Amino acid sequence: MNIIQVSDLSKAYGENEVLKGLDFQARAGEVIGVIGKNGAGKSTFLEILMTIKHYDGGAVKVFGKDLASLSATDLEQLRRQISVVLQPTQFYKTLKVGELLQLFKKYYGSEADIEKVMVDFKLEPHRKKYFDKLSGGWKQIVSLAIAFLSKPKLLILDEPTTGLDPHMRNLLWQYIKDYNARTGGTVILTTHNMDEVELYCDKVLLIDEGTDAIFGTTEQLLRSGYRSINEFYLAKVTA
Amino acid sequence: MLATQLKYDLIMFSRELFYVIFTLAVPPLSYLFLGQLFGGQLYAGNLNYAQVYTPAFILLITFTVIFFAFGFDQVAHRTTGVEKRIQLTPVSKSILLLSGIIRSLIITSFGYVLIYAIGITVYSLEFEPGSALRSYAVFIIFNAVLLLIASAVYSFFMNDKSALIFSIVIFQVVMLTGGFAMPVDRMPEIVQTIAALNPLYHMNKIFTAVWNSQLQFESGVFISIGYLIFLTVGSLIVLKSKGNRKY
Repeated sequence: MNIIQVSDLSKAYGENEVLKGLDFQARAGEVIGVIGKNGAGKSTFLEILMTIKHYDGGAVKVFGKDLASLSATDLEQLRRQISVVLQPTQFYKTLKVGELLQLFKKYYGSEADIEKVMVDFKLEPHRKKYFDKLSGGWKQIVSLAIAFLSKPKLLILDEPTTGLDPHMRNLLWQYIKDYNARTGGTVILTTHNMDEVELYCDKVLLIDEGTDAIFGTTEQLLRSGYRSINEFYLAKVTA
Repeated sequence: MLATQLKYDLIMFSRELFYVIFTLAVPPLSYLFLGQLFGGQLYAGNLNYAQVYTPAFILLITFTVIFFAFGFDQVAHRTTGVEKRIQLTPVSKSILLLSGIIRSLIITSFGYVLIYAIGITVYSLEFEPGSALRSYAVFIIFNAVLLLIASAVYSFFMNDKSALIFSIVIFQVVMLTGGFAMPVDRMPEIVQTIAALNPLYHMNKIFTAVWNSQLQFESGVFISIGYLIFLTVGSLIVLKSKGNRKY
């Protein structure tokens, strides 16, 4: 079952056409990597799926609902099923980690046990630290912990591992894969790290010149003669 | 949800030293300092220092709270991406807005009581329940007007640094031309001209008159009320147009 169905999506900022007829589908339980050059329209595409950015043309259905036809209240309801990690990650800077988790638990009407979340995400030593005082990596972990509070059916991550050291990156992927395996939730993420795409993603969407230049499974791409996704990317995308 | 958001909004305010100093420390200290300088003088309407400057400094706190902790805060959240992240949660915008408004009302009401208490303690200001109630009602209306103006003004800022500089400059302008430092009619003509454009000057005139039970509906008061209505309607139009704007 498709939980996301995008057809002929277009979006422009003034004269600058960012998306020019993009098609995309995501099924329940898939992990999909969205790749492309800086400025290719990856973040714009994700923000449209997150329901916070309007689009100019085409159709976008999330959980079977046409975004263009939804009221503000309908969108609020839809967002209960979606969680996100943004780039850069920002929350109220003068709240402590524990307070942020409590507040977002309330936002999502979640029944999650905050103490367990603290333990699961190894956040206990940071409970009383202000969000603003955390390192970039720990901010990402807090952001991910918050994203999981709502037990989302769809997780959208915009460059979640940018700036993380290898241990942090590994930890973050463990959480993502565990969530995916445990709940069957769908994960869509952008990244510039092709190794991550190769290791963890079921499918790859390459956005180039505002269109879905390539959309297929990671296996298909590797079977088509490339030794790695990195080699595929370098061959397909000009600098 | 509203109670939780309000709790954390108040916690965040208390942790922002910049807001606390500019909103809850500078106005009362200025009130006391100016009292030392001009405490013995008489002003228009045969009013003493406390009768003129107690309502004035209550208004000044209201202005600083609303412009710094409400207006500037909105810019800071918008430019740092916090607003976008909150928008991605199911919490409704009206809950967030209502919490921000109630937070401002709580803090400005605290300022009202604080300045009033200093006036009673230091300057032997009399407490009259009827007058206090009338004044508080006008104070709440002015809170609402300032919330609208602040939201409209700060909706134009896309950068928190420029919003911060604007806030500090506008604080000085309001302080000088609003009748908070010394009576505007004793200042140079250019300052008086600028004062006529300052909504706080008009609010101060009306609020001081209500506070001292001296409000008379003559042309000057009608001009002030008309100007404040004009700004309120203008702010509503700005906010409506910004609200309709697509991303």
